[in-house]
Amino acid sequence: MKKIAIGGGQGFWGDSPDAAIHMIREGCIQYMGCDYLAELTLSIMAKQQLKDPAKGFAPDFVTRILKEAGKEAWQKKIKICTNAGGMNIQGCVDAIHTFAKSQDMKGYKIGYVTGDSIREKIPKLLKDGWTFPNFDYDGDFHEILDKIYNCNAYIGHEGIEEALSMGADVVVTGRAADSALFLAPLAYEFGWADDDWDNLARGIMAGHLLECGGQGAGGNYMYDWRGVPQMDELGFPIAELTDDTFEVTKAPNCGGIICEQSVKEQFLYEVHDPANYLTPDVNVDISNSTITQLGPDRVRVGNVKGKPRPDTLKLCVGYHKGWKTVSMLSFAWPDAYEKAKYCADVIMKKMMRRGMKADDIHISYIGLNSLHLGVADMSEEALKNLNECVMRIAVFSEDKNECAKIIPEISPLQLNGPPGASFFGGRAHVQEVMALWPTTVPRDALDIRAHILEV
Amino acid sequence: MPEIYLNDIAHGRSGDKGDTSNVCVYARKPEYYKIIEREVTPEKLHAFFGDMVKGEITRYEVPSLGGFNFVMKHALGGGATMSLRLDSLGKSMGSAVMRMKIHVEDGEI
Repeated sequence: MKKIAIGGGQGFWGDSPDAAIHMIREGCIQYMGCDYLAELTLSIMAKQQLKDPAKGFAPDFVTRILKEAGKEAWQKKIKICTNAGGMNIQGCVDAIHTFAKSQDMKGYKIGYVTGDSIREKIPKLLKDGWTFPNFDYDGDFHEILDKIYNCNAYIGHEGIEEALSMGADVVVTGRAADSALFLAPLAYEFGWADDDWDNLARGIMAGHLLECGGQGAGGNYMYDWRGVPQMDELGFPIAELTDDTFEVTKAPNCGGIICEQSVKEQFLYEVHDPANYLTPDVNVDISNSTITQLGPDRVRVGNVKGKPRPDTLKLCVGYHKGWKTVSMLSFAWPDAYEKAKYCADVIMKKMMRRGMKADDIHISYIGLNSLHLGVADMSEEALKNLNECVMRIAVFSEDKNECAKIIPEISPLQLNGPPGASFFGGRAHVQEVMALWPTTVPRDALDIRAHILEV
Repeated sequence: MPEIYLNDIAHGRSGDKGDTSNVCVYARKPEYYKIIEREVTPEKLHAFFGDMVKGEITRYEVPSLGGFNFVMKHALGGGATMSLRLDSLGKSMGSAVMRMKIHVEDGEI
């Protein structure tokens, strides 16, 4: 029976390339998917591209993965699907082409899928009556029109599958849904139809378990993090599918863990309603799914069901929202928290006197409550004998000048405030705040195309 | 009735989509599922979080996996892109849920 093994090579832009390279070296997969795009990544890439048109994609895919193991993958016929193209698919394709040429990889086929970026189509869609309603907040889309960095639809697996059917050795996309990078090779290999909902759902969930890399193999693992072998050589997960089985494992000779609990933690990660997990390819139902340990580092996933895909695609619009400044000062025992809090009060009094107009101010204390906020333990016992505490003040304003006002006021507190204040990390700087406008777009507004460039 | 941390009987993970945080919570042993079902209701979770979670909390049950998925709206101070919080992605929301105190009957665990 035909079996396809596909590995998760990257969980985000900036992830370690080690596990991806290891999988290729071990040769235990036929396909690999490398996900680079979180919700805001495209906006960051769009901003980079504005400053330098050659940027706007994840160069790490070429410099950290292909350069190390790209030729070996090609020789072993391991095909790679990635959304590293980001906002500049052509730039990514060119970088791969230059790399492949330098390695004498004649005949290497670079596939790429265009059409997810629809910024230029917005005026026509608005004219046609599409209102781009915000899922999360009220508001009129017209208010952000002149502040937009990017408009990218989450596209499904079809374009990637088409590039594979054209013989691609690597497929580059922009905002393909993370899990579509994994579904595409499975649908291609098994010949799943575009309305074979149950199989498409299995492929999506395979992708879902792989798209976060190490998080599917013992990284960020709450159940028993101490029990994860060799976290310094953490392997990433591999899905093995046949026409009727779906198993998760990992490469031999590396760290990490694949067990019922590790797979479960990733299974519902960033899923909302388990009976209606919406993706561009299928509406997935995992509300009755099962996860069963078959042996060491091998788990079987069962009862994944699919329903017809939604009529619209999710559209992520990134836009300029304002500015923020984050400032910190550290304090030591005795009375570390009391001093830090007093210092924050002093700074805020000064800022009020200077007339700082902040739209939002967030004060927390690292080492105490900056993560768990209102549910952190602030009892007398927790505060007593605290070794150290870092005051953190974050200020947001739509006006950049307002955010800048606090910057020169922090370091003087070393000499002018409670005893033992230590300033670290250099002066704060004003950072741009980008926001997302989560909305939808009709499928037929997109023009998705697959292309091949042969080296 | 003894009081314990949810952490003693459960594990899970938090994720984010915009300003929405989801935390999946699984029973460490199958028999703990019914304790979580009884003790960790959306109402109790909202009371626990107070101001930290400004929107609606929905609980989805997945008994075949021995777990639950909690979806909390307006829970991340504006979300990854806008939040002023140190943990703008809510990576620690999972452990925050786990420090909720729950009641168990004598002999239940």
